[in-house]
Amino acid sequence: MGYAANTKSELLVLLSSFVSFGWFMVTGWSLLSINLFNEDRSSFLLVKQKLAGYCVETTELTKNYGKVVAVDHVSFKVRSGEIFGFLGPNGAGKTTTIKMLTTLLRPTSGSASVLGFDVVSEGSRIRPRIGVVQQELSYEMSLSVEGNLDLYGFLWNVPKKERRERIELLLDKFGLRDVRKTGPQELSMGQRRRLQVAREFMHDCELMFLDEPTTGLDPQVRRITLDFVREKVESGMTVFFTTHIMEEAEYICDRIAIINHGQILALDTIDNIKRRFGGVSVIHLRVADGKKGLNRKLEKLSGVERIVYPQQEDEPLKVYAKDADAVLSQIIDIITSSGLHVEELRIKEPSLDDVFIQMINPKGGSHSE
Amino acid sequence: MNSFLRLLYRDLKAGIWSTKSMIVMQLVTPLFYIFVAGFAYGAVIPTMNIGGRNVGYVLFLAPGIIVMQIMFAASIAGAMLWIDKRFAMFAQILMGPFSRWQYILSKVVSIMLQGLLNAFLVFLIASPLLVGLGISPLGLAYIVGSLVLGSLFFGSLTLAISVFIRSNESFNAILNVMITPLMFLSSVYYPLENAPLAIQAVSLANPLTYAADMLRAGLLGVYAPHLFLEVIVLAVESLVVFVAAIIAFRRVKT
Repeated sequence: MGYAANTKSELLVLLSSFVSFGWFMVTGWSLLSINLFNEDRSSFLLVKQKLAGYCVETTELTKNYGKVVAVDHVSFKVRSGEIFGFLGPNGAGKTTTIKMLTTLLRPTSGSASVLGFDVVSEGSRIRPRIGVVQQELSYEMSLSVEGNLDLYGFLWNVPKKERRERIELLLDKFGLRDVRKTGPQELSMGQRRRLQVAREFMHDCELMFLDEPTTGLDPQVRRITLDFVREKVESGMTVFFTTHIMEEAEYICDRIAIINHGQILALDTIDNIKRRFGGVSVIHLRVADGKKGLNRKLEKLSGVERIVYPQQEDEPLKVYAKDADAVLSQIIDIITSSGLHVEELRIKEPSLDDVFIQMINPKGGSHSE
Repeated sequence: MNSFLRLLYRDLKAGIWSTKSMIVMQLVTPLFYIFVAGFAYGAVIPTMNIGGRNVGYVLFLAPGIIVMQIMFAASIAGAMLWIDKRFAMFAQILMGPFSRWQYILSKVVSIMLQGLLNAFLVFLIASPLLVGLGISPLGLAYIVGSLVLGSLFFGSLTLAISVFIRSNESFNAILNVMITPLMFLSSVYYPLENAPLAIQAVSLANPLTYAADMLRAGLLGVYAPHLFLEVIVLAVESLVVFVAAIIAFRRVKT
């Protein structure tokens, strides 16, 4: 039969066990060599960027999904230490842009650098320096709130003592103390979101991407969250913040970019954007009876877009003007020279909402909500 | 600590430990296979001659059942990947201080560890039968080699599959469709020499056959001359599937 153990077959068997242990070697070697590549994780220092103070720079950044262009030749720069708002309706390309900047997706064309490193070729230098709160809810299903925070800190190589301290701080900040032993499956949507945002603060980072982080949060918690983010920014962090909630952007962002259909429509401070793209402010004016030719005088004013006369007794007269301040001082002149008695006179700023809706619906489609 | 080891720790803590109830469940089936089916079939199947050694059917079956554990373990552990995708932990980790390589390796290694653990537990269950077999160091090398290569193969296979899976249902369906033929078209339940030629031919492509043969040889201490060939075939198959899993990972959608 040839089954009897002889020297030859034992040699072959020895050889074959070498093969299987060769696998161990190969695996072990790959592990070791991979360890060599992530050498610079130790520097969690919030180092100011050497590159002209820009944290993110994109040039003609583009991503196609088949024939669909999700991000279309987008170029922008994010300054170090600012809260940069990336605003757009759903499906505008916000998340795709974040995925490219966080090295998750390769751009179809164009280039982007984050913290001075190229997103395609130097991803391993970028990832240890950034933090990301995804739009999608994310947590470890099988661990408690506390377990989630601790494991995430562990993944970021945060020492145990520091993890403990941070957990206590974050449980308080995000109102999760009562549910610290609870699993995420039993939490409310808002609590899960808070856990996800809190988790990202288990480690330090130079640049944090927040992709609609306040979805599902009530106004009070939203305010607390945004304040916490601002606090971190004051200690040196830069934030890339996407949202479609304008009041949130107005509350926290230094500069914003408005994106729609994968293209940036505007990029500036909120005030400048309102001024340039909001077009007009509205001056409300109400005077006591005896108009004394007021309407004729108003129509002669320069810089007035249009005037809407009141339809009812107690409605104000509305003057739409690009440079409301200049028009207002002219109106004040008219009023003083005519000796009119003013009941109401004020400038109403357009909200960012108005601007946003006007920008993404250039045809002037009315917004009903 | 090495970031790979941190990922591995995460898999063990959040992934495998959370499926501990399933591990217990998995141990019930082999118990019945060995102690019920093994002895019941053993009553009708005469003593078998394996490489000149006369053994009862139950001793033939036990190594096969142990090897099958690594396949079951791999299929459960493979679900870790799609759980990661479902709760967006996959993207979260790939945007963290890790590389894709480290992620996939941590998954393969944790699947291997689970396979080895399961096999060891079934080994313990079957140990009353194995007393007195006198396993040699060489036999032990074969046993470990079989389990390591086998779990590498099945771990990589389930990982490669779960890359493309979007729901738990389809993942389970695919595994069930895959596992049953793999189980029966192998030398787990019967010696291939007497089987119809067609079954023999298909079984020779099945890595489970080689893993079962290796483990059986190590356990019973009988080494067929072609055994080293089986080791090589299993190693090559594992390598191919491992590479396939890595390629699949490069294309994974987040």
